[in-house]
Amino acid sequence: MKKNLCLLLVGALACSMLAACGGGTTSTSAPPASASSETTSPKTLRKPMVADISTMDVQHTSKDYEVPMNVFDRLFEIKVDDSGAASLVNNLCQEYTVSEDGLTYDFALVEGVTFSNGDPLTANDVKYTFERMLKDPLCVNTEAVDPILGADALLAGEADELEGIVITDDAHFSITLAAPDASFLYKLATPACSIYNAAVTEAAGDQFGIDPAVTIGTGPYVVDSWEVNTAITLSRNENYWGELPDVEKVIVSVIPDPSTQSMMFQNGELDLLDLDYLDSSVVNSTYKTQYADNLIYGNRLAITYMSMNQNIEPFNDVRVRKAVQMAIDRQALLDAVYSGDGNVEDGIFPRGLVGHNPDLEGTITYDPEGAKALLAEAGYADGFTMQFDADNSASSSVMLLYQIIQQQLAEVGITVKINSMDESSWLDLRSSGDMNSFIGTWTADYNDPDNFIYTFFGNEEKTTLRSLNYPDTEVMQRVADARAIVDTDERLAEYADLEYKIVIEDAAWVPLFSRQHLFAVGDNVESFIPFWAGYGDIIYRDVTLKS
Amino acid sequence: MRIFLKRLAGMLVVLVGVVLLLFIMLRIIPGSPVTTLLGERASQQVIDRMTEELGLNDPLFMQFLRYVGNALHGDFGTSYKLNRPVSALIMSAFPNTVRLSIFAALFAWGVGIIAGIISAICKNQQRFRLLSSLIDRLFMGGALVGVSMPVFMTCLFLQYFLAYRVQLFPLSGFDQPLSVVLPAIALGWNSAGTVARMTRSSLLEVMQADYISTARAKGRGSAGIILCHALKNSMLPVVTMMALQISSMLSGAVITETVFGINGIGRLAVTAIQSRDMPLLQGTVIFTTILVMLGNLAADTLYSVLDPRIRREG
Repeated sequence: MKKNLCLLLVGALACSMLAACGGGTTSTSAPPASASSETTSPKTLRKPMVADISTMDVQHTSKDYEVPMNVFDRLFEIKVDDSGAASLVNNLCQEYTVSEDGLTYDFALVEGVTFSNGDPLTANDVKYTFERMLKDPLCVNTEAVDPILGADALLAGEADELEGIVITDDAHFSITLAAPDASFLYKLATPACSIYNAAVTEAAGDQFGIDPAVTIGTGPYVVDSWEVNTAITLSRNENYWGELPDVEKVIVSVIPDPSTQSMMFQNGELDLLDLDYLDSSVVNSTYKTQYADNLIYGNRLAITYMSMNQNIEPFNDVRVRKAVQMAIDRQALLDAVYSGDGNVEDGIFPRGLVGHNPDLEGTITYDPEGAKALLAEAGYADGFTMQFDADNSASSSVMLLYQIIQQQLAEVGITVKINSMDESSWLDLRSSGDMNSFIGTWTADYNDPDNFIYTFFGNEEKTTLRSLNYPDTEVMQRVADARAIVDTDERLAEYADLEYKIVIEDAAWVPLFSRQHLFAVGDNVESFIPFWAGYGDIIYRDVTLKS
Repeated sequence: MRIFLKRLAGMLVVLVGVVLLLFIMLRIIPGSPVTTLLGERASQQVIDRMTEELGLNDPLFMQFLRYVGNALHGDFGTSYKLNRPVSALIMSAFPNTVRLSIFAALFAWGVGIIAGIISAICKNQQRFRLLSSLIDRLFMGGALVGVSMPVFMTCLFLQYFLAYRVQLFPLSGFDQPLSVVLPAIALGWNSAGTVARMTRSSLLEVMQADYISTARAKGRGSAGIILCHALKNSMLPVVTMMALQISSMLSGAVITETVFGINGIGRLAVTAIQSRDMPLLQGTVIFTTILVMLGNLAADTLYSVLDPRIRREG
């Protein structure tokens, strides 16, 4: 009996081992785009990502842009020229005209564009895409199409169609806005406005964005397979309507541990490494020394800032807010945490962003004595106690920022408590408007000042969502109205005025710095241009490999 | 049989308790899964729409009844983060965890039992006392290191020397035949130390028994006594521990799977926690609870197989 039981156990163990070794995985795959890429050794880019993406449907995510940016196209794109400047260029849109009142845009699509399955791109696909963004309850990005006439009704379920889009023929359509929006074309270049194939997307249902076989775009790459929490493999779309990219195959491996990524890069198992995830001491000691020739510095259109909640005393006193601005040595912060890879900022619009005002540089100075005097004037000669609310899912570098600012503020008598919490609680507390103070970074969705100033100071809801509680409704109305100024110079002048009023006069937040984005590339990488806004997402056609 | 059924009923009660407790805890802790899911750029209108879509506005008891009803039909919901059915995700990750756990267990038990036996033999060795003592101390020192070393450190240590410096094994992934070696050693390292120490102490304890003295009186050597007479009787606590170890390996390879980039149950749990993915977290916790309970049941069963007295008493 005992022997039988032992045999049974051994048998079960062996069976489970066999089953485990041959076990299937949740992997979905599409047929290869081209047989030719299979026969010869394709030029392959190997890169890591720290966490798997949620979906390839860019309308259902506000984070996972990399795959959609390579599989789909948009009407417009942002391109970085040789000087490093980012500008809007036509993509699927051949040409467009704007009415004098800035309300109606007439678009013509590029002729001969097809999806990777061979279907031609039509104006109906554009209309379907924008309507889906408003109708599908799981769509998270509506901001880009909100300005279109009838968007509110569609979003509220009171209409079936988007009133503002009229199709003339397969290649021509017009979009009418509810009110002029100078940044509208830039919004059409955001990842969320990737154009879908109406018929395929509708037929795919909830498998669109999940199953590579039905996740069809007009972009330069197609997804071959997606193995959850393991890897995504893409290959070049040989039917691509534009110039074929150099990289023929891309393997994006999910490697959660940054130090493993680093070792794999150094062993030649990866071709491209985002140094954002590594500890800055490792970047300094290893990458800036041994791999100095392999580093690529990209601009990052992002600003790191410290918030102050004006609903909470003593931040309701402008003298206290100005004192905090003066008490923080931002250059020292940048040097200590990011090895000085960036620039101290004095406004809302970082370097590289349209509307950045160089005249503001140097207006906020590090002056602890001046800060003490202002605090004394405000009745806080002995200082006060405040609280930082920190998201503990943030990188170790961000946590270091909190600690250094804590020390710097202590020098002028301000005692800072750091209250750490998980991301979900942090986001909820912040959107309630009750968060005390935090350090955040905002990266551009589109290259327009509206994307920054409206997000934080656009209206009462916006400023509450960021726990700033900026009280000047007149200024916020001006921020909202600036969207409708059609004349570019006039609009930028208004933004410069508003920026000065909010940051310098009202000291509504503490601008800290903008940073560069460092990548390390392998020896087989010929060239690489980082994404214009400085995201970690890679546009694979911006990479070329050595033969 | 009655005892077996009684145990199964007890397991069911524990499972219901775990499901209920987890369900309530996930919903009363601060922070909404929707805000984590949508990120900081979503408007309040979109957040409200998604909350309604996921049924999170419904009363708690309705949500619970709906969850239990669906679970009884095998539907554990769809992962918020990975957008796939939870049961499919668990079934795709489980083979990797099983493979990792089995190899880790083979390493742990193989190394642990052999080290324990050698150590016990050396401890009892009358000849070459100095050398024997040295070997005993060496093995037990190694076992102590095994028990004390955090898994994360073991992972990095193995990765650095055997995959990065020497490049004998892959640094990450689970798609090559050799991929399993380092994660299995890392996961089994602690258990090997525990098994070695327990095997040694259990053997030494059994060595005090009268029948061992009889065998010794008959002129058998230490090695012969241990292998032929003492080992079987000393394995009782070791086997119990081994059964518990395999269930904890199956459910607790979180760090190993994360460092080596293996899509296993532990990784799924980490993904679920980080993204406040309630259906996925509930699914992984329920699944691992069942595994641990089955592990305990297997341990009890093995115990009674190895020790007939327990069967008779039961």
